[in-house]
Amino acid sequence: MGNYFKKNISLISFIFIPIVYLWDPNWLEFLGVQPYWPLFWLLPWSMIHGSFDGLIIGLFLGLILDSLSLDSSFTQIPGLVLCGVWFGKLSISNNIFVRHFSFGLICSIASFFCGSLFIFQILIKYWSDNINFLHLANTKNILAQIFITGLLAPLLCSLLFRLFQTSKGRDKLISFINK
Amino acid sequence: MVDIRRISTNRWWHKKKNWVLFIFLLFLFFVRISKGSLYKDFYYFISKPFWPGQFQREVLTKSVEQEFWLRLKQLEKDNKRLREILSLQRVSDSESISANVISRKTGSFWRQIILNKGIKDGVEIGSFVVGPGGLLGRVDNTSLFTSTVKLLTSPESKVGIWVERIQMHGLLVGLGNDYPKVIFYNKDIDIKVGDFVLSSPASTLLPPNIPIGIIQSVDEEFKAKKTANILLLGKPQAIDWVQILKVEI
Repeated sequence: MGNYFKKNISLISFIFIPIVYLWDPNWLEFLGVQPYWPLFWLLPWSMIHGSFDGLIIGLFLGLILDSLSLDSSFTQIPGLVLCGVWFGKLSISNNIFVRHFSFGLICSIASFFCGSLFIFQILIKYWSDNINFLHLANTKNILAQIFITGLLAPLLCSLLFRLFQTSKGRDKLISFINK
Repeated sequence: MVDIRRISTNRWWHKKKNWVLFIFLLFLFFVRISKGSLYKDFYYFISKPFWPGQFQREVLTKSVEQEFWLRLKQLEKDNKRLREILSLQRVSDSESISANVISRKTGSFWRQIILNKGIKDGVEIGSFVVGPGGLLGRVDNTSLFTSTVKLLTSPESKVGIWVERIQMHGLLVGLGNDYPKVIFYNKDIDIKVGDFVLSSPASTLLPPNIPIGIIQSVDEEFKAKKTANILLLGKPQAIDWVQILKVEI
């Protein structure tokens, strides 16, 4: 059972992303804003599996999270897909401090990118209504999200990175033995 | 002739009894002129220990509450009857559905709450949700066991509102933060901080006159429009129980 869990940790943790997204614990919020949860999973997973897998899993994540959100006119898919591709091209540092810092920085930048894409969609949608300038108030949400995502990323991303690396290493070992 | 002179005289003011009578009459005259104010003030002090106590106040408050409740019920009934005659939108006669908030996204861009009542409990898309304070939003999606409510603060939320004091319509637009804005398409409008905002009687989505919020600040006019920030009365980030009500057209 433990072995099965370790082997499929990435799949099991993937299933939990929507749950955490819905749970949104309010004791983790900053200025009323929650961290952007999917990035914590997407970053280590894409770093290990590469850009193409990052693109696919970013698409899946976007589809699932969009189905959980009511705002049917706006989508999270472009942000997550592009982040998946970008994360896949990154390599990890051997220095533990640099690694933690880089996780935080990368997640902050990705959060800014996803948030900006979301606001951009809102501005385009309400362009004709002449009230789109009102939606610029959302910039506060982006800034708060950048901060809280960057703050939690070193902790969660490095934990998930280690777990995914272990499970991938085990897979490789098993397939080598089978050969 | 011996002139006999009276050594002592017996005048009325020499008698104490007469003085007492005189003072009493003076007192009566004063009471008459002052319309009994002296008596009333005196009564105020002596009756003070026997004034209606806390218990009596509670009894009276309860009676007043009951009176208001009865009057409210009567007015609601009249309102319903009149709206029926005029074929206007009204709240369903069937009982409201109480639901528990099981998930809330009240920060960030996505503003929604998920309730623990769904299709099996009779929740329909388009029903509106009220909590302590007033209107929270509309049911936008339902599953068998849950329903998802789009909050008034959601960037996709647009609701017609009515400002009671100036009898004007406006449009409440959610911006993805805690303070949605009201847009009035008239720059000469006399909107003031503290004005109450209710759901519009002309709205096709919501029943009329449900409390929504209070005008918190008024912005500078822009392109023949006036905008104002609203402080919502219902606080979805703190509410655990809500009521789902159906709208009948």
